[in-house]
Order: sequence, then C-alpha cells, then structure tokens
Amino acid sequence: MSIEALVKEFAEVAANPKAQLKKYKDQGKKCIGVMPYFAPEELVAAAGMVPFGMWGSNDKTISQAKEYCATFYCTIAQLDLEMLLDGTLDLLDGVITPTICDTLRPMSQNIRVAMSEKLPCIFLAHPQNRKPAFGLKFTVDQYTHIRKELEKISGAPVTDEAISEAIKVYNKSRAARREFVKLANAHCDVITPIKRSAVLKAAWFMPKTEYTELLTALNAELSALPVCDWKGAKVVTSGIICDNPKLLQIFEDYNIAIAADDVAHESRAFRVDAPESGDPMMALAQQFAEQDFDVLLYDEQSSSNRRGEFVANLVKESGAKGLVLFMQQFCDPEEMEYPSLKKALDDAGIPHIRLGVDQQMRDFGQARTAIQAFADVISL
Amino acid sequence: MKTIYTMGIDVGSTASKCIILKDGKEIVAKSLVDVGAGTSGPARAISEVLEAAGMKKEDMDYILATGYGRNSLEGVADHQMSELSCHARGAYFLFPNVHTVIDIGGQDVKVVQIENGVMVNFAMNDKCAAGTGRFLDVMARVLEVKVEDLAKLGAESTKNVPISSTCTVFAESEVISQLSQGSDKRDIINGIHHSVASRVVGLANRLGVRDDVVMTGGVAQNGGVVSALQEALGHTIHTSPLTQYNGALGAALYAYQRASR
Amino acid sequence: MAETEKTTVAATEAAPVKKAPKPASPGTQALRKVVSDVYAAAWTAKEKGEPVGWSSSKFPCEIAEALGLAVVYPENQAAGIAAQHDGERMCQAAEELGFDNDICGYARISLAYASGVETTNESRRVPMPDFVLCCNNICNCMTKWYENIARMHNIPLIMIDVPYNNEVTVSDSQVAYMRAQFDDAIHQMEKIAGRKFDEKKFEQACANANRTAKAWLKVCDYLQYKPAPMSGFDLFNHMADVVTARGKTATAEAFELLATELEEHVKNGTTTAPFPEQYRVMFEGIPCWPDLRALFKPLKANGVNVTAVVYAPAFGFVYDDMDSMARAYCKAPNSVCIEQGVEWREGICRDNKVDGVLVHYNRSCKPWSGYMAEMQRRFTKDLGVPCAGFDGDQADPRNFNQAQYETRVQGLVEAMEETKKLKEARA
Repeated sequence: MSIEALVKEFAEVAANPKAQLKKYKDQGKKCIGVMPYFAPEELVAAAGMVPFGMWGSNDKTISQAKEYCATFYCTIAQLDLEMLLDGTLDLLDGVITPTICDTLRPMSQNIRVAMSEKLPCIFLAHPQNRKPAFGLKFTVDQYTHIRKELEKISGAPVTDEAISEAIKVYNKSRAARREFVKLANAHCDVITPIKRSAVLKAAWFMPKTEYTELLTALNAELSALPVCDWKGAKVVTSGIICDNPKLLQIFEDYNIAIAADDVAHESRAFRVDAPESGDPMMALAQQFAEQDFDVLLYDEQSSSNRRGEFVANLVKESGAKGLVLFMQQFCDPEEMEYPSLKKALDDAGIPHIRLGVDQQMRDFGQARTAIQAFADVISL
Repeated sequence: MKTIYTMGIDVGSTASKCIILKDGKEIVAKSLVDVGAGTSGPARAISEVLEAAGMKKEDMDYILATGYGRNSLEGVADHQMSELSCHARGAYFLFPNVHTVIDIGGQDVKVVQIENGVMVNFAMNDKCAAGTGRFLDVMARVLEVKVEDLAKLGAESTKNVPISSTCTVFAESEVISQLSQGSDKRDIINGIHHSVASRVVGLANRLGVRDDVVMTGGVAQNGGVVSALQEALGHTIHTSPLTQYNGALGAALYAYQRASR
Repeated sequence: MAETEKTTVAATEAAPVKKAPKPASPGTQALRKVVSDVYAAAWTAKEKGEPVGWSSSKFPCEIAEALGLAVVYPENQAAGIAAQHDGERMCQAAEELGFDNDICGYARISLAYASGVETTNESRRVPMPDFVLCCNNICNCMTKWYENIARMHNIPLIMIDVPYNNEVTVSDSQVAYMRAQFDDAIHQMEKIAGRKFDEKKFEQACANANRTAKAWLKVCDYLQYKPAPMSGFDLFNHMADVVTARGKTATAEAFELLATELEEHVKNGTTTAPFPEQYRVMFEGIPCWPDLRALFKPLKANGVNVTAVVYAPAFGFVYDDMDSMARAYCKAPNSVCIEQGVEWREGICRDNKVDGVLVHYNRSCKPWSGYMAEMQRRFTKDLGVPCAGFDGDQADPRNFNQAQYETRVQGLVEAMEETKKLKEARA
C-alpha cells in the first residue's frame, strides 16, 4: 500500500472509534474500555479481548456527566463518563478505571455507580512507590485483581503463556511506534501533524497485532523516502493529549512540524517495554516501575529536576526549536510540573508556549494567534 | 526612489482599525470602527482610512492584516500576521526602548517581551475573561455607566472597594452586592480597575517585566487601569494616543518591510 | 484537607462588633497553646541547628515524634494564612511562579512560602524545611506539591503512598505495602535525625495519638446533644490540634479538658454557640477559611448550627498495633470509596441529628468534591434531609461568592422548614 493509503486507514480508525468498536463486536470479540493512565492492556489482550482506549472526544458535549461532576474537572475524564452514559460506549463489555490522579479517583466511583447495572468496572490503583520490591508486589496484586476480573468477563482463564505472548506483541507495537515517531520527524513533509496524530491515535482502537502490521508497513515506506529538507519550524509537543485535527491544522497552516512529543496519549504511553522473560505478571509490574519522567508519577529523585531536563533534552535531540505545551485544563499534575518544566526549558534556552486546551474547545482563535506568533519567535 | 504606501488592518474582536503609512515612517491616515471580526467593521474601516488619505486601494503597495479576524480578509490583504508580532513592532516604533508590551484587548490579555524591536517571548491569558476589555464592559453595564467614563469616575474614588472574584459572573454579583450595600460607584470602579490590574500582573510577572513597559490596546485608554497596573507592577507604564491603533501600526510596518524587500 | 486557625473565628469574629469577645475557655486556650508550641518548637530546633521537617497532615506523625524530629504542617499553615486574609496574595505569588490558579489553594500558598514569600500572619511563620514528609492518602496533588518543595530546597522527601481504595475494607495487600513503606520511612528518617528509632518512644507516641483521637471523638460527640453545647464551627478550629500535635500528651489533655467543659454545658443546658439553635446541619467539606465570617453570618441569622463535620470521624485514628495503624492511615476522606464516605457522613448525620446538609464544592479540592453530587443524592434518599451546594474555595477568596452562598443557605433553610412541617404533620 502507498503511504497515503496506509495513513488513510489509520485516520479512519482514529476518527471513528465507535465504528471500530462495532466492527470487533460484530466479529464476536469482547471489548474492554481502558481509561488513562498506565493500565496493563496486555492483560486484556491476553484474555482474548480488545482493549479500547478512552481519551474523551473532540466532538461531544458534556451534558449527562454533569449529573456527577462539577465543572472544574478534566474534560477527558468527564467525556469518558459522558460516553458511558449516553450510549456511545454501550458495546463495551467492561471498563478499567485507573486512579492515579485526583480527578480519576472520584471518577472511578462515579463510573462504578453510574454503570452499576450496565457494565463491569475494573478498579485499578497503581502504587507511587513503584520501584522497591514492596511496590512491585503491590502492582502485581493490583494486576492480579484485573486478571481475575477479566477472566470473569471473558469466561476463560488468562494463562501466563498468553500474558507472555501479549507482552511480546505489545513490545513490538511500542517499538514500531517509537520508530514511527522518528520517521515522522525525518519525513515531516509527508507525515504532517494531523497525520502523525491519526497514526498514533489509531493504536488505542486496534488490536496491536493488526496495528503493528499496518504500522510496520508504513514505517518501511517512510524509511525508503529521502530525508526531507524542512524549511518550516519544528517543535516538540507536550501535555496530556493533542489530537484535535482543528488545532493541529493550525500547525500545518504555519508550517510547524512535530519533531517529537512528550504527550501522555502518544509517546509517554509507549516509552517503556516490559521484560520478555520471567514471571509475566512481575514483568508488567516492572514495566510500570520503570515508567519515568511523567507528571503523573512520583519521582524518587524529586529534589532534582529530572523530568524538566528530560523534556528539554528531547527538544534538543529531536532538532526542534521550541516546545508547545498543551495544558489540559484542570489537570493538576501537569499544572504542578509546569514551573519546573519552564525552568529546564529556560535554562536550556528553549522557547516554549503554553496553550490552555480542553476537549470542549470549539474556537481556536487564540491558539491560532499564539501558534502563529510562536512560529515567528522560533524562526528568528 | 518611489514612495511606498502600506496599510495595516487590525481586525479585533470588538473594533476594526486601519493605518496607512508612508515609507514605513509617516502616518498618513487612520480609522477606527467600533465593531470587529465578522461584521461590516473591517470593510468600513478600510474605506474610511482610504477616504481620509484621499487614496484608493490600488495605491497601496502592500496590505497586511492582523488581529482576531485577520484570516477573514483573504483577497483584501496580501498577508496576515499575528497581533502579537504586530503589537511588538508597533510599540517599538512608538517607543524605541520598549522591552515589554502589555496589550489588553476585548477578549485577550497579551504580554510580549521584546529585544531590539523583535518579539522573543510572549504569554496570553487562558480561559476566563477576567482582566480583559470584555470584563470592563460587563462591569460598566452593571454599574450603568459608559465604559469610556470608567477612568474619570474611578479617579474620583476616595477608597478602593476590593472586587476579588476571578470569575466574571462572580465579580458581577460582587459588584451588585457592593451596590446594594451602598458603596460608592466610583470606589467600586476603582476596585474593578485594581482587579483587572492584579490579573494582568500575574501574567506579566510570569513572563518577566523589563523597562520600558508599554501598554497598548483599547483598555490602555483607561487611566484608572493604567495607574492601578503601574502600582501593582512597580514599573512606569508608557502609553500613546495611538494606543488603539498599535496593532494596525505594527501591521503597516511589517507591510512596509515586505513591500521594500 | 484542612485545619485551622488559632482564633475562634466563628464565635468571635462573626459576633457583633460592639460586644467584646468572650474570653476563651481554659480548654480552648490549652488547645491554642498546643499549636503555638508546635510552631515554636520548630523555630527552636532550627536555632539549635536541628533539622526541621514539613509534613502533610496525615503522614504518620508517630514516627517523627518517636525520633524527636521537629515537624510543622503546611496545610495548617496555609489554612491559618488564608483565615488571616493573606491567602489571596500568597496564591497570586505562586501564580507568578507559574503555578496555575486551578491548583489547590493550600498548595499555592505553601509553594509561595517555600519560595521565600513571607506571610503577614506572624503566628504561622515557619522555618524553611530540611526534609519533607509526604503522605498522599488525602490527594495526589500532595505528591507533586512536596516534590516541588523538595526541588526548591534540594532536600530529601519521604513518601508514604496510599493508593486509592475501592472497597470499605483495607486489603492485606495494601497493609503489606503500607508496612513496608513505614519501615522504609523509619530508615530514611533515622538518617535525617541522626539517631536510632526508639521503640519505647514510638509506643508512647502511638499511645498519645490514640488518646488524642479518642478525646477528639469525644469532643465531637457532644454535638449529638440537642441543643448542642457548642457551635460545630469550633471543631474547625480545634482541627489544628489533631493535625499538628496528635502524638503529644498535651493535646490529649487539652481535648479532655474541653470535653469536661462541654459535659458541664450539657448538664446546665447551656451552650457556647452565640445563637439559639433552630436547625442542625452537616457542613460538608473544608470551610472557606478566608470567608469564615461570611460563612457563619447567614447560619447564625437563621439559627443554623453545624452539628456534624466529616473531620470528626476522619481524624479519629484509633488503632492498637502496626497493622491497624497502617489500616487507619489508609482511611482518609479522599482515599476511601464512595460507600465508606457515605457511611461516615450518614453516621454522624444520624448520630448528630441533622436537618440538612450544606455542601461546599471546593475549587481547591478535586478529590473531595469529585463525588459530592452522588453523595448529595444519597443523603437525601437515605436520610430524607435536604441538601444545598455552594461554590467556594478553602483558601482562595476569589473563588467564593457571598451572594450565591447566602441564597443557597436561605434555600436550604426554607427546605428544612418545609421538611419539618411535613414531619410534624405526619406525626
């Protein structure tokens, strides 16, 4: 397939999660909704079901969720609840609700209450002291609970062998996505911000075997192209999510390419692989323990500014000239880390802008102004 | 050498402004229409400025649009740029020592850092309208005064009635409750000016403030806000009678730069 | 999570200006002294060159107590600063550092203070920290807040992580995780203190903490009497002691003294509340410290006494060994599932015979406010009492609106009146 045809396929999946869900259900598969962050999707795959990412929506309005939620909550979480309530996700067979931030904590309760007669909710509480042996043990305990709940839904045991196999599939998929991110940088004339987003977003709505096969084909096509001589600006994006095509269109309008990202919905989700040997449950716990440089996670070396410096380095290494931070409204982990990120960027002489965004935004006038001006600043 | 005429158009959210510049130095004519993006304002502002200059559109060597509605002028303007860059350039023209521009417009607050006339960094308000021109409009309506009279009335105040709410809706009811408690309108206005200033100061300090500080945009005509901001910022604030035209001026200057390339 | 300020704000500030405030009772004075002593001890330690820690309110204080480490509590400090009307300025200072105005007001005040912005509330000034003790059983914001302080001062952070719990019981898995973290924390804190952990002192601190918790619960239970012998708002003030000095004998003694005073009031049918009680409500959430006077005004005007606050059960940690201590620390208001949260609240609502519930939708506290809408429905369904919600903030006055609040209180009072009439008609 041509690059164009491959990208189109990803874009269709990314734009129509509901159709995707129906497709797998029609195939007789069970689907499990997976809310942010760090849920072990491998277990869902090992249980023979399709994990389905839940990252809100760019074209829904929060209405029924207001019954549970005050206004000052992240719209991703609110829209997940909205879609569970309004029937969009009725085809799901279960939902995993992680609780690593202060919005997801009470939201796990709201969802469980709201879905009590509709959908099994699988609770997940990750430990923050995740690296020591006792933290690993706690993660294994939590994941064991998930495994059992998934077995109830699928009606069959989840074997260690199946988990080991799923780990391999996921590692491969993560490697392909990391490779794609590099290729998208080298070929940013072909893989524009909107296309880049669509390719990465599609991963949340496809079984990874299927996804990786398609992505590997795309990566091969891209590798065969000559590296582009990009005349426009290049930035690194950072934040929870930036998948709104209208917002990304502004990047394209001003010739801004995305060199790399520090986005939860994108690279933060596939930075770390799980070990392929040993006990597979422990391997998944180890994978979580090794997650790092993330606003949501406790940093044992918090007295130094490791995350800020990591992101600043990412900008330098990717050849970008600046960073665009998509500040998810009401996301306090992201907000709390902003001054440290700013400091690291300033120290490294990297200009940045911070755009306040949420998924209820329909007018991007202010963002357009800021992005256009930022393009002026970084092309000096 | 041929004389170069350029036009800058600033289509804001609440007003449309035009400036015609001769050789990037001399202001030939200017116009201001009190409605902005999405209205007849831009077209009217253009015809008014041409009329004032006694010129035709064809006489313009280059037309550059800026402001919230800058993208709506395709076919009219040769190019469009963000108002951040234009405000920086306009302020640099008026005040060559400028390092910080604070622009309070209808729905945005912008702070721009400038080195040698070039924008190097900027910050904009997010989310709410507090601190913007719109906020003052709402408050003026509640107080039943004209927005252009706010400065004069606020100057007669003898004390500051604090209005602290972040949210415009809350601030509105705070003002109403002050009124019903018999507080003097002028003192409430003074409080509103300080409230706007405190919102803007946070944004400015986050970016860093260096002299000279120039304030632009419609709200810069309100001396009450300017002095409250001056006080809160601890820096002298420069304004110009051309303050509302600053974006259009910057656009005309950029237009000149492009025309003479 | 909150605590409080040394003045009896509700009882005195809200009273008409013409009357001189009544002198505080010996029990109340003793409680105030306990808190002042905590702050003074931190300064003394600093002067002697000993390390001073900043601790989250529900970090197991027994450990620092056993190691003789001086510790102060930023949440109490922030509440005190906010109550003395310096919160807005401090919040703005944090915003200028780049912290968003949506972040918890306590965190903003504390981070501004940590960055070197001094407060005008002299009683709440603290020495800069040499280490920080973080327990995120109340929120995850705490984790990032303390990481920021550790970064600003380049100091060690001791983290006790309490994952959110979806069940009413605390699982053995969670207890094992907690126990291991306690051991780890003790080990790290021994290094900071430069001395070995003393089991004897630890047992004593635990005994004190239990005694304090029991005395606290006893004081809270006096709100069951009708009319109550005090204004429930007073509990907000006494929270400071449970937060900053649970492990000290003086705290237990002060609460016990207060309890005897309340006992006396009950016997005599008197009360320290400055108005006759007509309605009894639960105040849900952390109060708006900068606006205590505004909060109290319409309650007083309508004869509404707060006879239940969630802090009562939430800070009554009673335990008898390490395991049960671990379980106790897993149960903070924001770390428990909705069923546990509802059970606590409905328990005190029943025991303390409330007629309605006033719910604070607190901009500063996402985990707390995040399931209040559902809780409100349950209160009405299970208890048959009306509820009213209002928007506010524990520390940032810019998020509170007096007019809205007064209307909501009035609405609640009218609803309680209707309910009362209905009940009377039925009887």
